[in-house]
Amino acid sequence: MSKNEPITQINAMAQAPEEQPKQKSRRGVEWFAENGIFVFTAVLILSAAIFVDGFASLQNITDVFHRAAPIGIVAVGMTFVVISGNYLDLSVVAQVATAAVIMIAVSNEYGYFAAVLAAMLAALIYAIVNGVAVGYFKANAVIVTLSTTYVGLGLLRLLSGGSIFFGPPDGALAQFGAGKLGPVPYSALVLVAMTLILAFVLNRTNFGFTVRSFGINERATRLGGTNTGLVIIGAFLVTSLSAMIAGFVLAAFSNTAVSAMSTGYDFQALAAIIVGGTSVFGGKGSVLRTLLGVIFVSVLSNVLVLLNIGFGYQQMALGVLIALAVTVDALARRAGKK
Amino acid sequence: MATNKEKKEAKMRKSRLFLAPAAMLAASALVLTGCAAEEEAATDTSTDSSSDSDSSADAGDDTLEVYALLPQGNDQPYGTTYLPPMQAKADELGINLTITNSEYDGDKQASECEVAVAAQPDGIILWPALADTIRPCLEAANNAGIPVWITNADVNPEDADLTYGYSGTDSYGQGAASAEMMCELADGAEIGVIQINGLSGNSVATLRGNGFAETIAAECPNVSILAEQPGDWNKDDSQIAASEMLTAVGIENVQGLYAADDTMVAGGIAALEARGENVEDYFITSIGNTFLGNPLVIDGKLDGTVFQSSSWDGENAVTGIYRAITGETSLGRDDDASVLYMPNPKVTIDNATDPEVAPEW
Amino acid sequence: MTQQDTIQLGGGELSLWGKIKLTIARRTEGRGVALLAIILTVALLTEPLVFTAYQVTLGRIALIGLVALGLTAVILMGQLDLSVASTLAASGVVLAIIPDLTLGIIAALLTGLLVGAINAFGVAIIGINSFIWTLGMLFFLRGVALVISNEAPVKLTNADAGIAFGQPLIGPITPRILIFILVFIAIQVFVSRVKMGREFYAVGGNPQAAKDAGIPVKRRIFTGFMISGFVSALAGVINTLERTAADPIAGSTVLLASFAAAIIGGNYLKGGRGSIVGTLIGAGALGVLQVTLTLSGVQVPVQQIFIGLVLLLAVTTDPNNLRAVLSSIRSARSSRVKVQKPASEPNKSTAS
Repeated sequence: MSKNEPITQINAMAQAPEEQPKQKSRRGVEWFAENGIFVFTAVLILSAAIFVDGFASLQNITDVFHRAAPIGIVAVGMTFVVISGNYLDLSVVAQVATAAVIMIAVSNEYGYFAAVLAAMLAALIYAIVNGVAVGYFKANAVIVTLSTTYVGLGLLRLLSGGSIFFGPPDGALAQFGAGKLGPVPYSALVLVAMTLILAFVLNRTNFGFTVRSFGINERATRLGGTNTGLVIIGAFLVTSLSAMIAGFVLAAFSNTAVSAMSTGYDFQALAAIIVGGTSVFGGKGSVLRTLLGVIFVSVLSNVLVLLNIGFGYQQMALGVLIALAVTVDALARRAGKK
Repeated sequence: MATNKEKKEAKMRKSRLFLAPAAMLAASALVLTGCAAEEEAATDTSTDSSSDSDSSADAGDDTLEVYALLPQGNDQPYGTTYLPPMQAKADELGINLTITNSEYDGDKQASECEVAVAAQPDGIILWPALADTIRPCLEAANNAGIPVWITNADVNPEDADLTYGYSGTDSYGQGAASAEMMCELADGAEIGVIQINGLSGNSVATLRGNGFAETIAAECPNVSILAEQPGDWNKDDSQIAASEMLTAVGIENVQGLYAADDTMVAGGIAALEARGENVEDYFITSIGNTFLGNPLVIDGKLDGTVFQSSSWDGENAVTGIYRAITGETSLGRDDDASVLYMPNPKVTIDNATDPEVAPEW
Repeated sequence: MTQQDTIQLGGGELSLWGKIKLTIARRTEGRGVALLAIILTVALLTEPLVFTAYQVTLGRIALIGLVALGLTAVILMGQLDLSVASTLAASGVVLAIIPDLTLGIIAALLTGLLVGAINAFGVAIIGINSFIWTLGMLFFLRGVALVISNEAPVKLTNADAGIAFGQPLIGPITPRILIFILVFIAIQVFVSRVKMGREFYAVGGNPQAAKDAGIPVKRRIFTGFMISGFVSALAGVINTLERTAADPIAGSTVLLASFAAAIIGGNYLKGGRGSIVGTLIGAGALGVLQVTLTLSGVQVPVQQIFIGLVLLLAVTTDPNNLRAVLSSIRSARSSRVKVQKPASEPNKSTAS
């Protein structure tokens, strides 16, 4: 809905002279609550470009995109589950690894088409089990997706034997993984394409509308005659398909796959969604914001590594960042209300 | 799959207390049959294991009961290839293994150790998730008269007296060996290297990292470590971290790369290749000689790695506990038979195709 | 909603069946009890050692359950605390880096209280969703633990004291189990007998109503999070003492296991319904299940699959869930024609 707004608003802000300070500041605060993430991202990127050696190099831009792509694809998809008011999908950890292992193990034997089909089947099963349990049984999403993580990883380890799988070094997958358009790796193009498609789905389709209204008020939506169970299955399906594509991208990038490769994707993706400003209350949020959150977190991690700062500090920074993002949002919202 | 059944049964809502049990029993029955089929015949004995006799079974007993407390298994490539030779050796020696996987959670392994001690097996094989935390487990096993054999990663020296022996490698030594190769490659020249570590906080990661850094500092101060970051044992994380470190320190200052395992060194090499660098110009060392690393050595991209044999590791863990149970070794590691060091040959392009260093994982 | 949870088991002589029905209808622990009963039965039939070596089983339950008890205090108020596992790790490291044991324990427990206070500050004062705020704390404290431990395990200066702590105290009962029981009793009494604790239910059920009724909601939120932080730190202290070293990445399995225990125990994540007893039952079911599976010697991935399936069945076979399925099916059938109306205001909130 508000895809183009931020840019015009930034311009408006920059040009508007300081008139009517009081009203202005209130409007500014409200605007900030909505669009703080845009400003933060811009400030971070600008200051990194100025102060951090090598940040603005083409190679480093590629690295940032490599960082952002797989986790970002998971995050934009998981935004649907979050917006629908169901916290998160923990099973993305198992889903990404499953898709990656299937992509390499199956394509080595039966070709890419079979691999994609098999991975889609797996994604569908995840979506249906998660979606039915949460949508129809109204079971708690955290525990449902926790249990599907256990079952999924267990099955993956049982069936794949836990081995590490390699793709052929010059196979199509490996070439895609190493491919770039200028400094932008193909995986980042996939992320952008996914963001645009999912933004369209969320903002312009009946399904997207229902997901958002469901997050705002479940009962009202249900009484309005919507089959909420199907909507939840749909939200989980979007997440599962995104996790699958993230698995493909990850497999292509490293040209290897192993069941432990996506550890931590659950909360990392959630962190990006939150930094982007999507509310875990459900309802509010957008895919574009999630993309920004992912970029922000990726740039920050990149900068900290460039400054040779230890992993512990990187985790602390991520924690502080989440707290800051939501605090600014909450304070601005409150100031706006007064 | 449970939905159909539940839809039907949901009509009897009032007997809700029976519904959950019924579904659960059905599922457990299903899964248990599945397990039984999945497991090789070896594990069936757990129900009728004779836990009535307190003392360890004499040689008269047909099968020996052994608990193997491991921190990894089918969730890691190494553990995956460690398990089958272990099981095969156990079958050969008439040992029934009960295997656990604590996923490197020290608290979970401690609890598994309590379970193992309570089960009064003939012996315990322990691969410490965290060497600093296992003394209580050793004392408990000792008090119960159960011999403990350590595998893969040794305990701290002060705890060695509580064990019957150790088989495996020396993580610190592996890092040191990799550093020695780096020193040889540098041959006195002033060079800069970047270091990719395992998962932060993981003890193997810490030991290998220290082994590398301290050996470099002691033996060839002409090599300086310009930056280090974790690669989390993954190729993708390692590739990004390596590329970013190259940017951070300036690629023109870097002549070498060390990673704590072959999977991560593959990521580092990929990072160099993505920049269009000629990898052969760089001094690159690592640890593992795996299916991923060995071909890199043969191609001349990876200058040296340290072979670690998962099959040797798994097999000798069982050999060791068998020695302990049969009295070939005793508490305190006083016998020659009580330590089995895994040969950790350095693998370079000269010997990479030798059959004795054929990659295993 | 508030009162129904304080009914105690036992006592009174109504018609037995009627009384059982009434109790079951009112209490939230139904599925936890059912699950525990099945697991106990299966364990009894296949691995009697689970019972003969009861101190081991109790130890496992205490390991999973202690953090879950504190977490329940927060869940009752409709809040979440994702930072429990990181709190456990960070407080353990705090304990280990301080040479003096007593001082270390005090500092570690204070760390827990401080974390609880910071969590509550974000939630009650700034007004941020606890799920998000404590996710920030999850990352932050994990970073703190890594930084102050220098990214490696820290050995306790006085390892002998740690080993002594792990020894049985009364019969085969170790201090861990004893502390677990004491914490259980304390929190149970607090939320069922103490006015302040009973107000947790009101806060969780309807914060606005609770506020209107004169309950200091913010202060209760502080109390709840500080209980959770303290108990997590206590678990970190116990773990560190028993293992004689602190692991900066400890607790990887704790967070989700404690959530699972609380939810299987019938605690409603949106607050207002649930009980500490339920959490105990949930932790008991999970603990016995884990010990049984370990003893069974079944392949680890198969154990994972099994635990996952049991969890999934446990959260979908609650009577409420089955009712939800039925109503979903019914409404789907009756409204198939008008599925997904895009028009605005789908509010016809007349029926209940």
